[in-house]
Amino acid sequence: MNLQAIRILFLKDLFLSRRQLFAYFAAGMAATALACVPNATLTFVGFILVITVAIAAGIHLIGTLMLSETTDQTRLFVMSLPISLLDYSISKISVVLTTYLIPWASMFAGLVIATFVLGKQGNVAVLPAIFFFLLCSFMLQLVTAVITESVGWTICVMVGGNVCLNVFMMKLFGNAEVLEVVKSDVLTWPSYVLQIISVELLVFVVALVTAFLFQTRKRDLV
Amino acid sequence: MTMELDSSTGTELAASMVDVSKSYKHFKLRNIHFSVERGTVAGLIGPNGAGKSTTMRILMGLVQPDSGVVSALGKPISSSEAAAKQDIGYFSDDMRLYKPESLGWHMQFVRSLYPAWDDVYATQLLDRFGLISQQIVKGLSHGQRVKAMLLLILARRPKLLILDEPTNGLDPVAKHEILTELMRVVEDDSRTILYSSHNTQDVEQISDSITFIDRGQVIASSNRDEFLDKWKRIKLHAPEGWKTPEVEGLRLETCHRNLHVLSFSQFSDQVPALLQGPGLVIEAVESMTLEEIFVSSVMRGREGSQS
Repeated sequence: MNLQAIRILFLKDLFLSRRQLFAYFAAGMAATALACVPNATLTFVGFILVITVAIAAGIHLIGTLMLSETTDQTRLFVMSLPISLLDYSISKISVVLTTYLIPWASMFAGLVIATFVLGKQGNVAVLPAIFFFLLCSFMLQLVTAVITESVGWTICVMVGGNVCLNVFMMKLFGNAEVLEVVKSDVLTWPSYVLQIISVELLVFVVALVTAFLFQTRKRDLV
Repeated sequence: MTMELDSSTGTELAASMVDVSKSYKHFKLRNIHFSVERGTVAGLIGPNGAGKSTTMRILMGLVQPDSGVVSALGKPISSSEAAAKQDIGYFSDDMRLYKPESLGWHMQFVRSLYPAWDDVYATQLLDRFGLISQQIVKGLSHGQRVKAMLLLILARRPKLLILDEPTNGLDPVAKHEILTELMRVVEDDSRTILYSSHNTQDVEQISDSITFIDRGQVIASSNRDEFLDKWKRIKLHAPEGWKTPEVEGLRLETCHRNLHVLSFSQFSDQVPALLQGPGLVIEAVESMTLEEIFVSSVMRGREGSQS
């Protein structure tokens, strides 16, 4: 493993995605700000926009940084350089994850801070479950992109993730214990939410390991 | 660096493939066996879809063979091994640079991975190729794009250049500029070029040795002068009903009335004597171009595989 090569490839991709990264960061911050306005309609619209930005950022960054290397034929150029498949895989998965986590973490942190500032601490209990769901959905798209290298299949998984998100939100807010915490001004952690977060973290780790395993076992790079 | 030696001649090899095979759904590369001597230009000629690109990608470690041994610059080649690629420059017609970025950005990027990057030489190449480092890749013409990629490869001073159809689709001037630069490269005896094309004229111009490949198999391999010396075309007037004698290396290319055009792959002064007989008149013994030799080799190979 060549750490210097991994660092150079990582920085190269970070630079190449700078415009999208800035756009999604700015859009995420704007949506978060809207969600924090003390008006029920604006808060709702802001929250929907936060979710939209998170989903759009995921599919766009996977497309730009991972899938486009095949369609734009730039991978042949990169793989002709003195880097191994392992170097390439580590840098590629790391940079895709990092660029997604920047707007994701900013929106997550922004909403948590705003919820505390507005004195609605109870809402904080559901935010990790929702944001980790979005992260898991992104990871499943990433694994699909790694395995299939197909834009179509990756979009299918994204659509599936969106459908599941709606069902997930219905189930989450349909839980009496969760609903009670959300309405209160005191932060407590319902066991239902903690179970969900545990499963989400497990899915994240399994998806990450699967992505690395598939990427590093490819025999033909181009 | 420890170079591999050719077991029969004892010469240093820059690259070699031994019994390399690779199967795809609709294509098979079968028992590819060839080597490139250090300090030479080796041409790989084949029709479209013959397996040239796959062969070169295997040699570069971009595609893993199903079987066989591949080495370059004395090191085994595989996708998990990056060290050998430090001294290899690979170009493919299918290769693309990042469209939104400039050539200068690409130069900085490649330089960060190659300690041997030569800034002075890179500047000279910019000038010789008529490129501007601030140019955005998206706005480059095909010829400029090929030159830009060759600049990125040549300025790292690789010991082995693997060039897959570098002159494909270029205008004559751009082609001349590139071939001239490649000739400059091999003025340094330690540097080697493996060059593929379906254009025999380009290969003939710069190659020391030539390998023909068709339908995933090597069909002939020799040095260029040997090819040109040993292959001859014989124009022969023969009586009606005359049949081409079954002599190794002899093939009937065309026949119009009593004029038979034969090609011979192992010509020697004794050959005309083999074509003596009542009513047989040899009209001419002519040299063949590399293109004619290539086409005849391919047709012989295909006839051989059908029979």
